[in-house]
Amino acid sequence: MRRSQMIKMRESKVLTRRVGKYKSLDLEAYKALGGLQSLKRALDIGPESVIEEIKRSGLIGRGGAGFPTGLKWASAAKIQSANGGPKYFICNADEGELGTFKDKVLLDGDPWAVLEGILIAAYTIGAKQTYIYIKGEYEKTAKLWEKLVSKAKKAALLGEKILGSTFSVNLQVIRGRGPYIAGEEFALISSLETRRAMSRLKPPYPTEEGLFGKPTVVNNVETIANVPVILADGAEEYRKLGVEDDPGTRLFSLSGDVKKPGVYELEIGSGTLKELINKLGQGTKNSKPIKAVQPGGGTSALLGRDNLGCKLTSKAIRKAGSSLGTAGVIVYEEGKSAVEIIKGLLQFYGAESCGRCAPCRIGVVRMKEIVDTLSHKEATPDDLVQLREIGKACIAASTCGMGQAFPLPVLSALELFPEDFEAAIQKV
Amino acid sequence: MTKFKMQTYQNLIRRSGGVTKENLFSLLGKVQDEFGYVPKEVVRDLASKTGLAEARIYGALTSYGGFKIAPESND
Repeated sequence: MRRSQMIKMRESKVLTRRVGKYKSLDLEAYKALGGLQSLKRALDIGPESVIEEIKRSGLIGRGGAGFPTGLKWASAAKIQSANGGPKYFICNADEGELGTFKDKVLLDGDPWAVLEGILIAAYTIGAKQTYIYIKGEYEKTAKLWEKLVSKAKKAALLGEKILGSTFSVNLQVIRGRGPYIAGEEFALISSLETRRAMSRLKPPYPTEEGLFGKPTVVNNVETIANVPVILADGAEEYRKLGVEDDPGTRLFSLSGDVKKPGVYELEIGSGTLKELINKLGQGTKNSKPIKAVQPGGGTSALLGRDNLGCKLTSKAIRKAGSSLGTAGVIVYEEGKSAVEIIKGLLQFYGAESCGRCAPCRIGVVRMKEIVDTLSHKEATPDDLVQLREIGKACIAASTCGMGQAFPLPVLSALELFPEDFEAAIQKV
Repeated sequence: MTKFKMQTYQNLIRRSGGVTKENLFSLLGKVQDEFGYVPKEVVRDLASKTGLAEARIYGALTSYGGFKIAPESND
């Protein structure tokens, strides 16, 4: 192997460069490692220049939907809240997507950088109240953040006159209370309003009418962790990472049938799915060939063996027929029927539909029933037609990303592995 | 977890800087973590302090698996 090939797949530690280098609550150590310089710079250059810098960086949201962060901020910054009312910033740490566990690495391993990003965001859009909504299961993480907030208050990083400036801001740590859907932007907002966690029709977008009807920006943890990096090195330097229309790095959560699951930070486009699985993940668990991969969490379409050479960019994965979503790469090796794969997924999503939209509320249950009959070999060919039709209806008629996406792995499984479904049909 | 006492709850509210719609969800969480459930006395008090109907608060609480509105039984 040529040397260039050998070093091709290597981790690029940008967001994770400080993880493990300091004790999570040690602010002095964070400062010694270069922390808070970006916040100082932001306070120095002012909100408009920060927005310009983020826009120029080409940063795209890492929460799954892939919206340009600079545009989101610009839209919230320019809206005046009615009667001078407040604006809000929410850091979405309700990492609920199946196969996704990357935000936790940052929340635990470099929390000050996440806080620095939150402060810069709040300052830029003009929010005085911010929230970090942490997944219920991450109990220790939430406790760590409670302590971090008290420490930050003492260090003039939260409260009045941050670092001696005129900017004041507060942060509330919120622990999620269970529902998967609370990770969806509007469901999260509803939750913070003490309502059922349910999505809403857009527009209006949260940047126009969000939390309590006020302009609100919701950003994923990984997105926000990119902000101090961009401001420290400048947008031009940042753009040297990754690819032209998708700059930076991504934290890939690798799980499923691999020998070495974990979170790997890679420069976007620096390798292929296969390299990620075989080199960093050290191959499949039982050294069997790969059957299928979900590249972007549990709601992303399955990719078959033919697409394993796919580059790890949003564009390339989309072209292959799936999406990079939350970059939660779930690997399935040979030996498992596609019916069993989607059964596991539908079990999860079936319990998590918020119930707002009939196609998702009813569809997910019916789809799960059909897959159960398939797994008991009691299904008829007509059931396969039904499965496909219900899935398409859900995608077409649901309000939020969940209803629009959970049928995708099912439809792709029908497409890629018809033999598994044929084999599961009742023989008469 | 501790046994519910109005005094403990009131201290918790004081430490959190009072009750507003903005921190209601967070307060309910703290009550849940403290007592293992959200007692009806608490819902009544929070409803009157925020001007929300008790039913609004129960409607939300009971939709989350992570909230309980009665103590877990010991059997």
